[in-house]
Amino acid sequence: MVEVEKLREIAREVISRDDVRQLIGYRQGTYGFRARPAFITSPEEVDQLIFSPACVNNLATYLTLEEKLPVPRGQEPDLRKVAVMVKGCDSRALVQQMEEKAYERDRIVVLGIPCTGVVDMDKVEERFPNVLSRGEIALEGDKFILSFDGRREEVPKEELLADKCKRCRYPTPLVYDQLLDQEVARFADDDYSDIVELEKRSAEEKWAYWEEKFSRCIRCYSCRNVCPMCYCEDCVLDRLNPQWMRRSVDLSENTAYHIARAYHLAGRCIQCGECQRVCPVEIPLMELNRKFYKDVEELYDYEPGTDAEAPPLLATFKVDDREDFIL
Amino acid sequence: MAEKNSDFEPNIVAFLCNWCSYAGADLAGTSRIQYPPNVRVIRVMCSGRVNPLFVMNALQQGADGVLISGCHPGDCHYMQGNYYARRRFMLMRNFLEYLGVEPERVRMSWVSASEGAKWKEVIEEVVNGVKSVGPMNKFQRRQLNW
Amino acid sequence: MAAKKLSKEKVQEALQELTKFRLIAPAKSDEVVIFKQITDPGEAFLDYGNSTVPPKKVVFPQTETLFRFQRGNPELREKNVEEEGTTVIFGLRPCDARAMSIVDRLFSWDFEDPYYLKRRELTTLVGLACNEPPSINCFCTSLGGSPFGKEGLDILLTDMGDHYLVQALTEKGEKLQDILSAHLEDAPAEEEKKAEEMAAQAEGKIARSINTEGIPEKLPTLWEHELWKKASAACLGCGICTFLCPTCHCFDIQDEVEEMGEGRRARMWDSCMFSEYTLHASGHNPRPTRRERTRNRISHKYSYYPKRFEVIACVGCGRCINLCPVNIDILEILEQVVDAS
Repeated sequence: MVEVEKLREIAREVISRDDVRQLIGYRQGTYGFRARPAFITSPEEVDQLIFSPACVNNLATYLTLEEKLPVPRGQEPDLRKVAVMVKGCDSRALVQQMEEKAYERDRIVVLGIPCTGVVDMDKVEERFPNVLSRGEIALEGDKFILSFDGRREEVPKEELLADKCKRCRYPTPLVYDQLLDQEVARFADDDYSDIVELEKRSAEEKWAYWEEKFSRCIRCYSCRNVCPMCYCEDCVLDRLNPQWMRRSVDLSENTAYHIARAYHLAGRCIQCGECQRVCPVEIPLMELNRKFYKDVEELYDYEPGTDAEAPPLLATFKVDDREDFIL
Repeated sequence: MAEKNSDFEPNIVAFLCNWCSYAGADLAGTSRIQYPPNVRVIRVMCSGRVNPLFVMNALQQGADGVLISGCHPGDCHYMQGNYYARRRFMLMRNFLEYLGVEPERVRMSWVSASEGAKWKEVIEEVVNGVKSVGPMNKFQRRQLNW
Repeated sequence: MAAKKLSKEKVQEALQELTKFRLIAPAKSDEVVIFKQITDPGEAFLDYGNSTVPPKKVVFPQTETLFRFQRGNPELREKNVEEEGTTVIFGLRPCDARAMSIVDRLFSWDFEDPYYLKRRELTTLVGLACNEPPSINCFCTSLGGSPFGKEGLDILLTDMGDHYLVQALTEKGEKLQDILSAHLEDAPAEEEKKAEEMAAQAEGKIARSINTEGIPEKLPTLWEHELWKKASAACLGCGICTFLCPTCHCFDIQDEVEEMGEGRRARMWDSCMFSEYTLHASGHNPRPTRRERTRNRISHKYSYYPKRFEVIACVGCGRCINLCPVNIDILEILEQVVDAS
């Protein structure tokens, strides 16, 4: 487990540097067990930083989210680095962003956090509902310890662990300037069993399944905004010329939205699972992204977010790529 | 299985690359080869130009099937366009099948400029395939009354 | 009108009676509770906290046609909302009904929105009191509401255990109560008193609060305050808080061509948190970053709206706090506003 004091010490050191503009980490949320992003610009603010299994957000998305405003005349743009804390899955977003040349490696300072898994906050809040005062979650052995309102509750890890962590291949960050804890060896793998199960259904069953989900979609664009890989300034989902999907919210446009977004993540989605976590109407978005992930791995032997020097998937080809479906 | 109306004439949109497939289809025409009339052709310069979202959009707007046809691998007029297209459509087809769109609706073929006869076979295969799965009724833009 | 009682065994038949109208009730889609039209009373799921998407979408649909047009035909065919018929929303929470009354003021202000107002006229609201606040983040009492609030409702149901206490509050409510009279009995005399006690208890359980006095006047003075930068730093610029807010009401209007020569003009929900919301055709955007948009959202709800319509455009339902992916908390921001110098 990451020691908070050590984390804060390192953060203090990093934010004190002249060449670092901002440090993005985690701090306690406003109620219950929640944690939320922290944006530190001076050493005095470092004491709010934490790391625990409640730190579910993928902070890599902020590197590409920040708006780039025109610089007023007479002022120089602030080109200092941004420091960011990343877990294993989050670090893959950094790798993939660098693979796509979103920014150069020397623009960021990466504080890597080897991760033993985060909780699914819905499961936590269902287990311990209506907790207002701030609570904490820690991992001891194979149990989560939840401390709140003077109570200390122990829950077996797999009951509260986020589903994505049960298939995690990269618990230790793949890129870092400093590692905030001991490396964590791989403890899980992904066999795509849920995707395979869905693939086995008939066409009618599949569509019935997805129709129910897409009909619920309210097009809040939260999945796209939270995704670290969705950072196009002229996003295909927003374009008016051509307008791929209308702003009206109905089954047809919602389906087009999800097809287009999942497709644009083919070979790019790094499996952080944030899209599914943030969806207010519980659409299983990872089942869409993982279908591409599985196909890309099986057909083209490619895993996004693992090698910053690799060329992007759809910008390459092999002469002997599969073409068994082509007439 | 839905009732397959034997009167069902599918609407199929085909994206043909200018140099090979379009020429091949044209050859079929000048050779007076008879083939089903269900295909609406959109000529593009290369199969690599075809955005996979065209498939999604065509199905959404009422097509029952989509065909993308280009030069044989190795013979692309622009050297590599069809290789990129091959990857894209493999992924798109698999994904649409995963959502419940029958794979018979999304087809790809390599037809060269001299393959007028092959064009006929490709069309017959595609049209029969789409006929067998019936009209597209999954996520079309329905004509909304209100 | 004297209060009535609807025994829980009779709820299904009462709902069946209401299916002759357009009956909207909470129902489940997988594990998510949504308000939708039901034709089978068994679909209604009344044992719920609160829905994710508020029932505002019934009177203010997320997408609706305004009129249709046709090439060569100079007449536009306007949407006739009357055709939707009488609608009953059964089982909504008091905060969501109060929110509709708040939004009514805007839609009947300088332009009387025929679509919205007609729908409101055709809709009867049957509310369900919250014996317990549905969420730890509810703060309706700070804004003049209550878990047993009657404002905006036509009928209020209170869950008394094996039956609901039924109180008609308006003429529309009495009319509906008459329609259901076959399924109702007279309520015992003390029930209304008991319900008042339950109300006080439920209000006591509301865990979070904010003193809103002075906030509407103070907000414009904090225009350049640094609190906005900090409050918005984590914001993703998505539309969750606005789409799930029962008082948010912004919309975009777009034309859609459906077939060659035919189309419609439709309006759909828009969010002031999207970057394109204030994007001008020139490319200029007066609210270019999330800081400006966050400042605008809070100011609109807690300052501009009350200045114009004398009511804060927030009912304290807590959805924005519960569902914000990055835990941006409106109560925290308001506390900072109160403390700001």
